[in-house]
Amino acid sequence: MSSETQQILTTDGIPLEVSLKKAERKNKIKAFLLVAPLLLFLIITYVFPIGDMLLRSVDDKMVTEMLPKTFKAMEKWDGHELPEEEVFEAFYHDYKLLVENKTFGKLATQLNYEKNGFTSILKILQRKIKRFEEGNYKEQIMAVHKRWADVEYWRALKRRAPSYTFSKYLKGVDMYKNEDGKIVSVPENRQIHKVLWVRTIEVAFFVTVFCFLMAYPIAHLLATLPMKYSNLLMICVLLPFWTSLLVRTASWMILLQQQGIVNDFFVWIGLVSDDNRPEMMYNKLGTYVAMTQILLPFMVLPLYSVMKTISPSLMRAGKSLGGTPFVAFWKVYFPLTIPGIGAGCLLVFILAIGYYITPALVGGASGTLISNQIAYHMKSTLDWSFASAMGLMLLSGVLVIYWLYNKIVGIDNIKLG
Amino acid sequence: MKKLSKLLLAVSFVVSLTTSAFAVTAVSWGGAYTESQKLGYGDPTAKKLGIEINWVDYSGGLSEIKAQKEAGKITWDIIDVFAMDTIIGCDEGLFVEFDFDKDFPAAPDGTPASEDFFTEMPSKCAVGNILYSWNYAYNVNNVKGTPKTIKDFFDTKKFPGKRAIYKGALTNLEIALAADGIKPGKGGANIYEALQTEKGVQRAMDKIKKLCTDPQGGCVFWSAGAQPPELLVSGEVVMATGWNGRFFNAEVGEGAPIKQVWDGQGLDYEYFVLVKGGPNEAKAKEALAMMTNTEMLAGSAKYIAYAPWRKSSLKVMEAGEPWYKDGKTNMVPQMPTAPANTKNFFLVDPIFWADNGTELGEKWEAMKAGL
Repeated sequence: MSSETQQILTTDGIPLEVSLKKAERKNKIKAFLLVAPLLLFLIITYVFPIGDMLLRSVDDKMVTEMLPKTFKAMEKWDGHELPEEEVFEAFYHDYKLLVENKTFGKLATQLNYEKNGFTSILKILQRKIKRFEEGNYKEQIMAVHKRWADVEYWRALKRRAPSYTFSKYLKGVDMYKNEDGKIVSVPENRQIHKVLWVRTIEVAFFVTVFCFLMAYPIAHLLATLPMKYSNLLMICVLLPFWTSLLVRTASWMILLQQQGIVNDFFVWIGLVSDDNRPEMMYNKLGTYVAMTQILLPFMVLPLYSVMKTISPSLMRAGKSLGGTPFVAFWKVYFPLTIPGIGAGCLLVFILAIGYYITPALVGGASGTLISNQIAYHMKSTLDWSFASAMGLMLLSGVLVIYWLYNKIVGIDNIKLG
Repeated sequence: MKKLSKLLLAVSFVVSLTTSAFAVTAVSWGGAYTESQKLGYGDPTAKKLGIEINWVDYSGGLSEIKAQKEAGKITWDIIDVFAMDTIIGCDEGLFVEFDFDKDFPAAPDGTPASEDFFTEMPSKCAVGNILYSWNYAYNVNNVKGTPKTIKDFFDTKKFPGKRAIYKGALTNLEIALAADGIKPGKGGANIYEALQTEKGVQRAMDKIKKLCTDPQGGCVFWSAGAQPPELLVSGEVVMATGWNGRFFNAEVGEGAPIKQVWDGQGLDYEYFVLVKGGPNEAKAKEALAMMTNTEMLAGSAKYIAYAPWRKSSLKVMEAGEPWYKDGKTNMVPQMPTAPANTKNFFLVDPIFWADNGTELGEKWEAMKAGL
């Protein structure tokens, strides 16, 4: 090889290339050690919980393991008529074991998620199962409660047979897999999640738009005013930012309710009559007003940091080259602020999509968003796998928006400050 | 001097030993409620039995006591729980099963405990402690006339104005049916029977929907117990459902211009359970029997407007009126279980809601989304 003759050596006779690599590797290790705590922190607090959520949302091993014989016997059952005696018999043996081990409570909870009404019939069965006679279990079980003779309950039971299932995701969009394996919608009077998804995205979108419309002029003023005024203005932006979220929400309630200060003022100046006060709270309007005000700083700050770096001479140059103020603004100033707009909009949108305390308090009947539903299943029904599934759907929605943004604007174009 | 200090040391040691050995730990929800329990019957019982009762706060549910049992170190003796938890805990063997009439003293007039208590217990491990009410109240300044019945709550022609109702389906479906003409029956049995059917649920939802979409009416949904009196006082709504203790505080404690209506009220309950294998099971059982006797149960109503479970406690209160701690308010008319208040009522059915809560919750939300 010809290169060998030209190889450069360091003073201690090692090839330069090797020596350099060695030094670099050392640096790399040092750099890695420096970020290792952060990496570990992220894995423990972020990657691991999300992985756990993902697993939880599809894992249904518990029920599968609780009723092994039943599900085995059910394999042959087509799900149209009531199952045969052997299914009932298998169920009797499985359930009796659970009663003896005192773990039937968990089964009741799980099955009640699938179909309401299971809790009580399992409970009644638990009391009577000790006195069952051998043979003819189908009749004996059906005699316990009329719901045991309802094929819907056995279909629901069969739906829980697989160890892994995507049924929680389907439920998140008001669908389920019926006995023929087709994916169908739940009855109309129980469809709630689709409405909530649409509403959540709608609220987040409009709040982002309103925030943008209001924040842009403020940020511009902040960036261009003389220091002493802009500092004052900055405090006006930051002061509410530092105030508790609940305090701000409650203040909006006091201001905007029908007997509130704003309405009192309108009546006083004669804008509206006393018995015809407009409703500005406990509806969508209230949600938009309160959320826009609360999220406004998240839009102002990135915009401001970008605008601060734009030299005023650029606008002057645009105008001196013959552009009207609007043209100069649109062709010169606005494109330069796009990184700030992108950062602000993304920030506000992502925060708004997961909001729930404010809409719950000021939104009235239309104030329930998808995150309220997640919280409800986390805290009240304890159906954590469903809550996880919806949480992941929300997360993937945000990721899709992030991806879209990257395609259209480019993520490296973003600037937070 | 030295001898004396030694003696003191020994005495204090013995005293600390006995008190800690006889200390009973009672667990409850905290706040004004625990305060009423402690002052009403906790301290008097402790004094009479010569033991110490420590009150600990928790936020409900059985997860903690389960964890204690699994870890093999139970530190709680008595827990204040919801009906559903007494059933689950009893099934799972966490709590002691009672022989009711033997374990709990009879009323002063000799009525056995099982008959003196307001209704049957949901499980063998439970002993009733207080009952509270989901009733409604109105602002006297904003309502012309006097609403008297649950029908009036839905009558927007006679009483125009917005209503505040609970954000969930719980108790709303019940009052809707009661207002729609279903006689609750014994403890609300007819209402729950109707709610077992699709038709009954739809009927209740329609009633609520009509109220909320009525231009003369309209709904505000409350989520925190402090909201109903607040909404009434601010004039945001003319009537509101809520918890009677909160209304009482606003009405009597703060002198707000609101009045309660008891027709069609829903009674909800709290129970005590005794932990099996608790640190001081025998003493705790003794204390529990005393705390739930006629006089002691009446004691808590001195401090809060929740009703003692025993009917005989009401008589004690009646004889001792004015019973409230301020020395001038009669408490019997404020009790959810007072005869005048229980002419038309239902008992909130924990088993029904455990069974159907999620499905009805979905339907409820779907109905709300269409408002």
